[in-house]
Amino acid sequence: MITRATKTLLALLALLAAAALLSACTPVAAWERGTLAKPEMALTPDPLDAALHDHVYFSKEASSGGNSASGGGCGCN
Amino acid sequence: MRLTPLLASLLVAATCTATTALALDLGAAAPAFSLPGLRPQDSKTTINLADFRGKVVYVDFWASWCGPCQVSFPLLSELRNRLVKDGKPFELIAIDVDKKPADGLDFLSEHPVQYVVVSDPAGATPAKFEVKGMPTAFLLDGNGTIRLIHQGFKSNDIKLIEAEVQKLLSEK
Repeated sequence: MITRATKTLLALLALLAAAALLSACTPVAAWERGTLAKPEMALTPDPLDAALHDHVYFSKEASSGGNSASGGGCGCN
Repeated sequence: MRLTPLLASLLVAATCTATTALALDLGAAAPAFSLPGLRPQDSKTTINLADFRGKVVYVDFWASWCGPCQVSFPLLSELRNRLVKDGKPFELIAIDVDKKPADGLDFLSEHPVQYVVVSDPAGATPAKFEVKGMPTAFLLDGNGTIRLIHQGFKSNDIKLIEAEVQKLLSEK
């Protein structure tokens, strides 16, 4: 029978092991970002199109904020 | 024990936070480098930074995929050509960090410059200079000491750069 304390300890040990393994995380150096800089790597391939979609979205949802397009959510701008 | 998962998560997050070296400080000696030229007219010999001792040198790290570099090249070229024409002890060394030197050459065909352009596809030199973003430039005085570090580039920046260059030239 595994007690709750043992489970917690095992979970902690697993996390510690994960932490140790993740210690190799490293940022991409500034001079190695050639591939990331390619247009096809952009999150929004067409910024204007994305802004229009955002605008329609917040107008329909009567919400604002969190997106790049401006407006108050009234759908009138 | 509720805090244990939270603490463990924090530990994971802390471990994942990569340690980034601090950039070279102003007043530090610029790391030496010896690199091959990028264009046919540059590649006859390797370019050593030490050969420019006694001159004010602007070391510019750039790449073909770097947007602000398209702005900086014509402006830096105009400044460099004007100063050299006036006989000032100034030179500009542009270090291309493209993995494929052909990409750098394509860029230069659209933005031709007369100053020295060297190639470092392995990235050893930007690592030594601890470059944090593209473009980054280091202005060195005649002793090879770093006097200005300029990250990024907007068209107005050329005024600040020229002012610093003129200041260093007047020190000589």
